[in-house]
Amino acid sequence: MEELPILTVSQREQFLVENDVFGIFGYFEASDVSTQRYMLEIQRDKQLDYLMKGFRQLGREFSSLDANRPWLCYWILHSIALLGESVDDELENNAIEFLGRCQGSDGGYGGGPGQLPHLATTYAAVNALVTIGGDKALSSINREKMSCFLRRMKDRSGGFRMHDMGEMDVRACYTAISVASILNIMDDELTRGLGEYILSCQTYEGGIGGEPGSEAHGGNTYCGLATMILINEVDSLNLDSLMNWAVHRQGVEMGFQGRTNKLVDGCYTFWQAAPCVLLQRFYSAHDLVHHGSSHISQGTDKDHEDHHDPEDSDDDDDSDEEDSDEGSVNGHGVHHTSTYINRRMQPVFDSLGLQRYVLLCSKMPDGGFRDKPRKPRDFYHTCYCLSGLSVAQHAWLKDEDTPPLTRDVLGSYSNLLEPVDLLHNVVIDRYNEAIEYFFKAA
Amino acid sequence: MHGRPRKASKPEDEAASAAKAVKLRSLQSQFMTYHHEKIYTKEAIELSTKLLEINPEAYTAWNYRKLAVEDSLSRIGPDPNLVKPILDEELRVVENALKQNFKSYGAWHHRKWVLSKGHSSTGNELKLLDKFQKLDSRNFHAWNYRRFVVELTNRSEQDELQYTDDMINNNFSNYSAWHNRSVLLSSLLANRADGFMPEKRIPDEFEIVHQAIFTDPDDQSGWFYHLWLLDQTVNVESPLLTSSWPSHGSSVILSGAGCLNGPPSNVTTFCSETGSFPLILYFDQAVGGVSPLTVTIDSELKGNENLVWEPISNKSSQVSCVWVARLKYFSSQPCGSKDHKVKVRLGNSPGIVSSRGYNFSAPYEFVFTVHVQDTAEDSHSQESIVSWTDGFELWDAQSKDLNSLFTLDQLNNGIDLKWRQAAIDSEIECFRLLADSKIGKLTLARLLMASEAMTLDAAVKGVYYEEILQLYNDLMALDSSHHQYYKNEHSVAFLHKVTSSSESLSRHLFRYRDMNNLVCLRLNKLSLSRIASVEKLLFVQMLDLSHNELHSTEGLEAMQLLSCLNLSHNRIRSFSALDSLRHVKQLKVLDVSHNHIGKHSVDTTRYLCSSPLSNSDWSQDGVRGQNPGLVTKYWDAYFVLRDLNLKQLDIAGNEIADDEFSSFVLQVVPKLVWLNGQKPGN
Repeated sequence: MEELPILTVSQREQFLVENDVFGIFGYFEASDVSTQRYMLEIQRDKQLDYLMKGFRQLGREFSSLDANRPWLCYWILHSIALLGESVDDELENNAIEFLGRCQGSDGGYGGGPGQLPHLATTYAAVNALVTIGGDKALSSINREKMSCFLRRMKDRSGGFRMHDMGEMDVRACYTAISVASILNIMDDELTRGLGEYILSCQTYEGGIGGEPGSEAHGGNTYCGLATMILINEVDSLNLDSLMNWAVHRQGVEMGFQGRTNKLVDGCYTFWQAAPCVLLQRFYSAHDLVHHGSSHISQGTDKDHEDHHDPEDSDDDDDSDEEDSDEGSVNGHGVHHTSTYINRRMQPVFDSLGLQRYVLLCSKMPDGGFRDKPRKPRDFYHTCYCLSGLSVAQHAWLKDEDTPPLTRDVLGSYSNLLEPVDLLHNVVIDRYNEAIEYFFKAA
Repeated sequence: MHGRPRKASKPEDEAASAAKAVKLRSLQSQFMTYHHEKIYTKEAIELSTKLLEINPEAYTAWNYRKLAVEDSLSRIGPDPNLVKPILDEELRVVENALKQNFKSYGAWHHRKWVLSKGHSSTGNELKLLDKFQKLDSRNFHAWNYRRFVVELTNRSEQDELQYTDDMINNNFSNYSAWHNRSVLLSSLLANRADGFMPEKRIPDEFEIVHQAIFTDPDDQSGWFYHLWLLDQTVNVESPLLTSSWPSHGSSVILSGAGCLNGPPSNVTTFCSETGSFPLILYFDQAVGGVSPLTVTIDSELKGNENLVWEPISNKSSQVSCVWVARLKYFSSQPCGSKDHKVKVRLGNSPGIVSSRGYNFSAPYEFVFTVHVQDTAEDSHSQESIVSWTDGFELWDAQSKDLNSLFTLDQLNNGIDLKWRQAAIDSEIECFRLLADSKIGKLTLARLLMASEAMTLDAAVKGVYYEEILQLYNDLMALDSSHHQYYKNEHSVAFLHKVTSSSESLSRHLFRYRDMNNLVCLRLNKLSLSRIASVEKLLFVQMLDLSHNELHSTEGLEAMQLLSCLNLSHNRIRSFSALDSLRHVKQLKVLDVSHNHIGKHSVDTTRYLCSSPLSNSDWSQDGVRGQNPGLVTKYWDAYFVLRDLNLKQLDIAGNEIADDEFSSFVLQVVPKLVWLNGQKPGN
């Protein structure tokens, strides 16, 4: 090319981010072992301080038109649960009572007391209550009214509207179906035409956009895929291209971007890694891992500069054996059994690289997580960085009942977070409790 | 992350914000009262305006305004002079809210709602959009809204295309603009809009995207657009018939069960206990609607008036690339040895439609001859074991009968290939310059494959395969994290190469002497990891795929004549991976020895594979009744084996193959004559 390449705005921004990120990585590489260990430490105490403080303030700084209170409840409670902790009874009761006041008389939850019920806040409220767990929290959800609310939000086209007269998109579909699935109130009326709607949002890139015609987007890809799995129509998506797209959103920084050619953002650690693991478990359940992992090199060359593991395959028996050997030595109660080996697979994305980005670039030294360097922390990013970190730590396993090996967890093993149910993003124990509770309730 | 100072909030800031919060709270509680009591006075509406300008996320307030507008409109009647100021005010509120937060779902949606009332001026909306799209050219709310406005106001797609030109010229890394370009062009090309004939437009688009790709090969935007363009170049909208069995001009000898005692013959001999043979249609894309209405068959063979056409697909859907009907050749009265011509016509009446909604439009017909023969029952040979080591005779490469077995060229005459080939050729030339990078190599390999698929001229067909295979070999070495993908593509390219000419195919073709000279294809020891080119191999009756790296049999379901299959020494990990064989009704001999079956557990408990045993239509099933425990344990084997009619099975050398499993197999397949090389019970 004759002319000198001129940096576009996007390229300049990308360049600045890479500069920050590689600056941090460079500092890390040059540090001594104990500093490195410290930098990779998740800092549970700091995280809990930040989260608990935020949770206590929830009640105080409440203003009645804030539309995201149930979300804050969920983000904070879920983050705490991921760290294996819970809040005390009084705070739990406050949260149950507050969310109860957000529940509309005709079903569903609004962004605050008196506000219109909204699907997104309904999802957040239900997930928050499931995360709290116990009879009091779970019985506070009015399933019959919820079922009516979900039907009211169902559009004739097959999709869902966020609220009365509200917008229709893939987020709305997911939040409705996730809630219906957890509360055990799914039926044909809710799923009618839904698969076709989601399908119309998958783009030729492979990912799923927010509405028909939109470009593929990480959050919507997660929402669309999880919805299709929950309504048992996942086969009709182009899964090869979806996997290919999602895998290649992991860039040079090792974090994920949300859309083609966008900047890395810590929250996509969950939105993009979860679809990868979901698909991988799907394929392994069907024993078609290799057919499905045809994730082509669509990114730039820099996208996948050599990572640690040259083997893409999970049937590489040698490495399996190696894993389990280490497992039996590291003293975490992992037994060297053939069943255990069978439950392992090689993640399709760079899990350790992803953990490195989250721990070094998203984690704040005094608690909380952020999008990327130079950005402030917030509870949204804290929730999805931690959720994504948990997904990455458990990405080698075909189910979440088995503990990861030390080598799966970047930093010390005490960084290990609770596993989540990938379709709803609540901690697996709480999910199981809720499923059992609502199974009996039906 | 180290020590980067966080902005500490000053005490005076905190005091100010606290005061603000108090004020806000009182406004909000006042608003809630208006909302719940449905008060839509001027004062009340102004309060909601104020709140939304502070917090555009307050969706309850947006809804309140919708109700308030409906309320005002219902009182003033249809006078446009009175309606206009009301709606103008809504647009103004939205605009201010967007200035506060241009990612507010509620605000964008409210604007759509106002516009849907029929109140809009394209000029104003586009001007506003321009402002926001300059601020953030990737804002998907703005792009969605833009598509909404364009559709609502019937703005021309050409004008919009021009807008993406401008955006891309301004910043070629703006993938949102590339994406919108593909959406617009899809529509313009499909509608054959003026100046948008694909043969002219697509080559132009290739030129445009080259500028982006060659300026910065590390930028993802252009590559995605290039991939989309390649799809547009290669894919033909209307479905086409790729191949059939029997193929045009071929002859087939049909007989009943058992063996023919006649001399070796160069035509395909097909034996069946049921007295019917499969007629296979293979389309280039999944289609539905294959039926006696859309496919007519003229023949003297009796009893084939109401043929049942079956889509061969692992999904229980009514669309598939492969369709099969079973034609009877033993009708009620014996017809003796006789030749019958069978003429198959399709496309004369509409109804065959691709899954994307395009019609099979080019009428096509083919004719073949069947020779029905009486058979001498020979129960002995039925019982004899099939060996994969000897009894094979190499095909006579010179003989002409190979050509009658299969048509090498796809039946795609009539497609406008010229511009497509020219476009691909010029891309190949171009990307040879970028073949140092991984993405450059991969793109080149794909282009070369696309070129091969379009080449009909036997003189130049196949010239690229060596280069393609080398590119994938390079990629496997260069980019180990995607090794398996390249390996699969390598296998696909290799199989395309093998089936590209009768000469190369004949090297792998044999006759198996012991069984009516079965046509045998041997593709063993080729490190294949994926099956491809099946559409050219429909005539194969015996297939040796041993010593490869296959993980599943997907694709083989189209090979309806297959009666013997050797998959030993591959990487099959469970019986579920053999699921596609359930469609191969002729299969009698299956060798899956020395695989990995049973070594890896199959997770049936979580996620998608809700245990297939729970929704059972087979509660009265005999084997399950006798032995529910074993069925639960070996459910994946059970589902495959009970649908097959095997005489010979080899499973030795798999973890699963113990005594318990063997006895289970014999319960599920009671007619089995040979298990692991031995007669059961001996």
